[in-house]
Amino acid sequence: MDAFAFLVGTLLITGLALGVAIHLANGGGPWSRSRSATWREAQERAETLLREMLTVEEYDQLSERGYLDVPSPSQPARTYRVPLKGGRVAIVEGGAEVESLCVGPVESVPPGDVILIHKLMIEGDEQEYLRRANRYRLRVPASLLGVGG
Amino acid sequence: MAVMQVLSKLGDTKYEWDVAGVQEGDGAAVAAVQEAERIFAQQRARGATAFKVWPGRPAERMDRFDPQAEHVVVVPRIAGG
Repeated sequence: MDAFAFLVGTLLITGLALGVAIHLANGGGPWSRSRSATWREAQERAETLLREMLTVEEYDQLSERGYLDVPSPSQPARTYRVPLKGGRVAIVEGGAEVESLCVGPVESVPPGDVILIHKLMIEGDEQEYLRRANRYRLRVPASLLGVGG
Repeated sequence: MAVMQVLSKLGDTKYEWDVAGVQEGDGAAVAAVQEAERIFAQQRARGATAFKVWPGRPAERMDRFDPQAEHVVVVPRIAGG
């Protein structure tokens, strides 16, 4: 009797494990598929909104060069270079990168929305944007500054 | 129609209201703008920042809800990484 119970238990556990494996192999079931579909839809909405919010020139720059230049509202010589694929935002002055910023939304949002968040924060609340960012000043060789040899 | 778009992990969620209807006291329009104002306050309390936006012009930060604003975008809090 004990052997029979052991056999039934083993078959049940094996069947359950097999069922879970098949379930996972099929993508994890409706919950997982629903989540990825939701994320895909969120990405599409973000892309649409970004197209609406950028000028044709800005969108072309982003697509072709992989970054969006956002002029500083307070310093005419300064531009913030926001990368399409994430990473640090470069501060460009006089054509040279002088500083980089590590900053982003605390909430996970689609990539298109990340670009838009940078643009809106720089344009509308630059000082708060800078205050929240971790800033990394780049060392410019003295020769490029026209100092020394 | 005025619109407020709140950015989140879901993409943007839109809240729309009829500015003219609000001015005329239309019940549905007033209810819609009140809902937008409630969401605005809720998002601001979470650290979000709101901007008035226009095509081809720099965004402008909004600290108080403006029922006359045609297009508002609310972005989540940012932090240094």
